[in-house]
Amino acid sequence: MSPVSVVAAAHDWQRLDRRMLLVHPIRELVRFLPALVAIAVAGTASGGAPWQALGVVVPVALGVLRYLTTRYRIAAGRIELRRGLLSRRVTSTPLDRVRTVDLTSSVVQRVLGLTTLRIGTGLAANDEGDALDLDGLPVDRARALRADLLHAAPVASEDGWAGDVPAAPHDAVPLVAFDPRWLRFAPFTGTGLIVVAAVVGGASQLLESFDVWDDVRSDDLPVPSGLGIALGVVAGVVVLVALSVLGYLVTNGGFRLTREAGAWHVRRGLLTTRETSIDEERLAGVAIGEPLALRLTGGRHLQAIVTGVNRSQSGSSTLVPPSDADVAPAAARAILGQRGPDGPVDAPLTGHGPAATRRRWTRALLPAVVLLLLAVAAVATGAPWWLLVPCVVILAASAALAADRAAGLGHALVDGHLVARSGSLARRREMLDVDHVIGWTLRDTWFQRRAGLIALAATTAGGRGSVGLLDVPEADAVRLADEALPGLVSQFATVPRHGLNTL
Amino acid sequence: MSEPGSNAITGISLRDPAHRVSPRARVMWILGAAVEGIVALVVLLVAVLVWEVPAWTLALLLAVVVVWVAVVPQWRYLVHRWETSETAVYTQTGWWARERRIAPMSRIQTVDYAEGPVARVFGLASVTVTTASAAGALSIDGLDREVARRLVDDLTRQADAVEGDAT
Repeated sequence: MSPVSVVAAAHDWQRLDRRMLLVHPIRELVRFLPALVAIAVAGTASGGAPWQALGVVVPVALGVLRYLTTRYRIAAGRIELRRGLLSRRVTSTPLDRVRTVDLTSSVVQRVLGLTTLRIGTGLAANDEGDALDLDGLPVDRARALRADLLHAAPVASEDGWAGDVPAAPHDAVPLVAFDPRWLRFAPFTGTGLIVVAAVVGGASQLLESFDVWDDVRSDDLPVPSGLGIALGVVAGVVVLVALSVLGYLVTNGGFRLTREAGAWHVRRGLLTTRETSIDEERLAGVAIGEPLALRLTGGRHLQAIVTGVNRSQSGSSTLVPPSDADVAPAAARAILGQRGPDGPVDAPLTGHGPAATRRRWTRALLPAVVLLLLAVAAVATGAPWWLLVPCVVILAASAALAADRAAGLGHALVDGHLVARSGSLARRREMLDVDHVIGWTLRDTWFQRRAGLIALAATTAGGRGSVGLLDVPEADAVRLADEALPGLVSQFATVPRHGLNTL
Repeated sequence: MSEPGSNAITGISLRDPAHRVSPRARVMWILGAAVEGIVALVVLLVAVLVWEVPAWTLALLLAVVVVWVAVVPQWRYLVHRWETSETAVYTQTGWWARERRIAPMSRIQTVDYAEGPVARVFGLASVTVTTASAAGALSIDGLDREVARRLVDDLTRQADAVEGDAT
């Protein structure tokens, strides 16, 4: 079946793929599992077989009903999804508002060659769980539909679905593909660290509740308890690292980034696969993430700043997962179409000057110094001396953080892209196409005004809502904003001693 | 791009927006702050009487409330300003932290006019201009009702004159 006829046929109300008749009952059975177990136990106790059968029949019937009551159509420039037996619900989206298209396949769906097509519009309705999911289409058909949806987005064509449909993205040569060596970054990623912290916290609470620590310290152990604890710690770390690697593998296994028909396609996931497609028109920029842990181990990751994709959908914006230091910048260069060596990705950044550096230091050191002084006072009045040790460690760590944060600050305006870098523990280099800048926010506190600094943020319809420059000298901020969008800011600027032509 | 710290040489900076909000806004803010302060004082007074919280905390809170009522609304009034041009909207809000927002006419998505119950008593209204950015709404509080209505009409007409979906 040719893709064109596939989509043309979608003008009438139609059901999803018949194979979902297998998927839905399995899902319902899983959902009803606790009830099923209870029914099974009660059934064996009372010896009545009909009851047990009911426990299986009801979920299966629900699954079949779900299939029978769900229909979709594409007509009059809208895609509509109708579902529900008793309370009927119709979700409808104009085709020219489609901004991202995700294909997600669970394990069961993959076995059957199916996928779920999710349409992202970036409208507020999405936050209410009203996302438009076509749950259960054959993979080929979903890909053809996706190509058409993304094609329809920038220019709402009158004649509908004409034109050649490109090959499925998985046939294209990937720009970046998964490399097993990336697994070494897994423990140093944000999610890796969260997993580690959660497991450590949970385990220690568990141990505490069972009074294990008392047992460990007792003489029952065959090895000296000091060695035992050390072994336990090593074993724990090994388990945590293994968990984070496994998590990375499940999320990012089989990753590939391809470009096809004016859109970027990210495919990843070992068990549940997920294909995210980002229309080039909607790609406002990219952000290279270089958090401290990754930077120290030589890794980077890349995210997209996409119009209509907000923070809550951040999973949709990953372009390259944590990987070797040259992979994310290479992908960023390709995505931004940078040819020369001094494009937005590699251009040297203008620092924010001594005042900004001073501010980083005072902000980081002030709390640590206060803490140290309190500790000194406490020791002077009879507290144990070792109270000073953690305070000194915190002071040293704050100093290191301040130095790194100061070194990280920078901005530039290169090839029509606003480049901003800041942060230490979560450093990002954001590159935003100035065509996607929809306003400016300048914020300064009384302290900042005294230091002649200002926080400049370019607001945009995608990502976090803005790309920010921390503590720029005010004149630099105004000049930068005016160079990015000529004429907008300068009409509100004052130049005391020179003419406006110095801008 | 120039060297950092060139502020002192060229001194380019943003000026304040041209228009103040209505002087009645200052009264409204003072009243609001006074109500907040009195509530806080009553709560603390009850705590002092019932749970034997030391009485000097009352004096401390009273000092904070006096500053909160006498200084902050006045400061806020001095900072709150707005201006529109052919091509842009420019607002300034805050007091300790000052926030200036500039949005091009071509990127305006909606213009909201609101009269809160208290603001209505004072004949005031607020105008909120949203763009497609999650971080970019421009809000002007304490406008005279007539000024606010005219502003909404002007903004709506100017924003309509520009093509595109404002993203």
